[in-house]
Amino acid sequence: MKNILTVVKKEFARFFRDRRLVIGTLLLPAVLIFALYSLLGSVFYEEDEHYTARVVHPSALFAALAGAAQGAEGEAGEEAAPLFALQEAAEADIPAAKEAVLAGECDLLIVFPENFDALLAGGVLPAPAAEASSALSAPATGAAPGAAETPASETPASETPASETPAAPNVEIWYDSGSSSSVAAYNAAYSLLDGLEDSLSGLFDVNMSAGGSLVSQAEAEASYYAMLLPFLILTFLYSGCMGLAPESVAGEKERGTIATLLVTPIRRGELVVGKIVSLAALSTLSAVSSFVGTFLAMPQMMGGSIGQTIAAYSVWEYLALFAVMVSAVLLIVTLISMVSSYARSVKEATSLAVPLMVVVMLVGISTMLFTVPSAAHAVFLIPLYNCVQVMAEIFSLRFSPVNLLITLASNLVYIALLVWLLTKMFQSERVIFNR
Amino acid sequence: MREIIRAENVRKTFTLSRKQRKLEKNPSGRKVALGGLSFTAYEGEIYGLLGPNGAGKTTMLRILATLIRADEGDAFVNGHSVAREADKVRSSIGFLTSELKLEDFFTPDYLIGFFGRLHGMREDVLAARKAELFSRFGIGEFAEVKVGDLSTGMKQKVSIAVSILHDPPVIIFDEPTNGLDVLTAKTVTDFLLEEKARGKSIVLSTHIFSLVEKLCDRVGVIIGGRMAAEGTLAEVSGTKPLEDAFFDLYAEAVRE
Repeated sequence: MKNILTVVKKEFARFFRDRRLVIGTLLLPAVLIFALYSLLGSVFYEEDEHYTARVVHPSALFAALAGAAQGAEGEAGEEAAPLFALQEAAEADIPAAKEAVLAGECDLLIVFPENFDALLAGGVLPAPAAEASSALSAPATGAAPGAAETPASETPASETPASETPAAPNVEIWYDSGSSSSVAAYNAAYSLLDGLEDSLSGLFDVNMSAGGSLVSQAEAEASYYAMLLPFLILTFLYSGCMGLAPESVAGEKERGTIATLLVTPIRRGELVVGKIVSLAALSTLSAVSSFVGTFLAMPQMMGGSIGQTIAAYSVWEYLALFAVMVSAVLLIVTLISMVSSYARSVKEATSLAVPLMVVVMLVGISTMLFTVPSAAHAVFLIPLYNCVQVMAEIFSLRFSPVNLLITLASNLVYIALLVWLLTKMFQSERVIFNR
Repeated sequence: MREIIRAENVRKTFTLSRKQRKLEKNPSGRKVALGGLSFTAYEGEIYGLLGPNGAGKTTMLRILATLIRADEGDAFVNGHSVAREADKVRSSIGFLTSELKLEDFFTPDYLIGFFGRLHGMREDVLAARKAELFSRFGIGEFAEVKVGDLSTGMKQKVSIAVSILHDPPVIIFDEPTNGLDVLTAKTVTDFLLEEKARGKSIVLSTHIFSLVEKLCDRVGVIIGGRMAAEGTLAEVSGTKPLEDAFFDLYAEAVRE
């Protein structure tokens, strides 16, 4: 036990006395991941949406909806920026307006029927069923450069058979499907007009006052974490181990320093355990650093707050998560150490560990593909896969202590078996001295 | 005199890698390093294993240091079997070979402390021993310099200090002066003579005749993994210089 501690202290000294290693392994992952994910989140959830649309026969109703007429009051009493900046255009300007959309001078061209607001107010609308299918008309191909300029469902009123219900007024929205801003503007305008049409039809509503998702907002966010975080954590754990284990095992072989240790009274099993424990601890620290960066950046990615996300889980769930991470890192570090002890150099160890990395990644993405029923306890005997599934359970707030215990106990057995095998490898002169 | 090291019919065969088979033009893939080697070293003497490169000297010393195992036979160090009591053997010896390296990242001061703890030394004993060795080899001047930044001679001094840190009764050095400048080589030879004077038993391997003549009480000449001759310098070389006697033995072994 004393020798194990001596080896652990030496491995820690090797790590913590190397400033570059500490910064590169512990500090940078958290900072970089937080910065990167936060940046991605701010791009995805950018609230600053302002579109410019040229409008033929402007509709006051639409203008009011888009917040363009007066500009809505913001929550803090500030005047909110309008969603659309509407520029009136004449019918004769339609070709020029289409060119302006393609040139990026504006995002949309909206052509309302003449007296659109009056038509709606006068109740001259057709039967709702007919209206629903043709009230709005979006060009099928948009107005991408070179695309046809005729709306796909544009139907001139004169062609409507007299015996049928009069055709619904058609709103044409022209946009550039090759421009993300124009597409976003199209979706926003379509959504506003679709909502307006729904409110006018008044036949029925869906989920207006009750119903909807059976889980809370927090649980919905948790299921998102459960899908993504186990994969990320496993990846971070593997990366941490890969950064340290080959250097510590294959590196010592390559440099000839392991033989110096082997002529001291230390037992090879003690050396193995000392190395595994120290590498697992350092890899866990590295993974925790990456995890903290990810966890803190998640709310930014999902538009929530850090405080809410942290408070979503109890202390027990954090402890369970830590226990699973430690068990996973011990498994991974022992496997990489076995590969490294077989290799003649750090370079060879890194190459030999690639198939292992593929397996770990595949196991990691399993939570994105399917969820294991909590009652299927036998599944939690599969090493590494059990860690991913338990982490998914913890993050989704459906954590089963039985599955956690099965996972930890079975992994402990696997780790003991692997350490025994690694000790045997360290006792083999063909393995240790195959430089 | 008490036997301090006894090797009994030690055999060791290595399996060659594909690359080695091509280099050594050995299609069988097996190389006999030791073909039944026996010898005895007594307490308080310096015993030299003399032989050309590839004779099996280093293999024999690695077996004595418990780094590798003999295929057949056994060896005893300070009364302990290398095959069955490896831990006790390792506590009894100070082993130094060119294949044992020190981690470049650490300082001599840290490494002495680390290896002392692995040998189970108490902190006060370790501190006293460290001071003694630093003074003896002049390590104090570069005790806080990383090993990677030291010269070859300085590294060798630190390696010797690490190997005998626990003050073992048996010292086993493999080619201890190889690659050293004359001043550092003299430090090593002086150290070995001092240790002998302190009653330590020493086994060293070398192919340098002058070193054997200067240091060794008894010598074993190994050629092709077998003991070609063993005894005091006078017994092995007779009236001839040691070098001439060695070449006669070598020619005889090649003929056989």
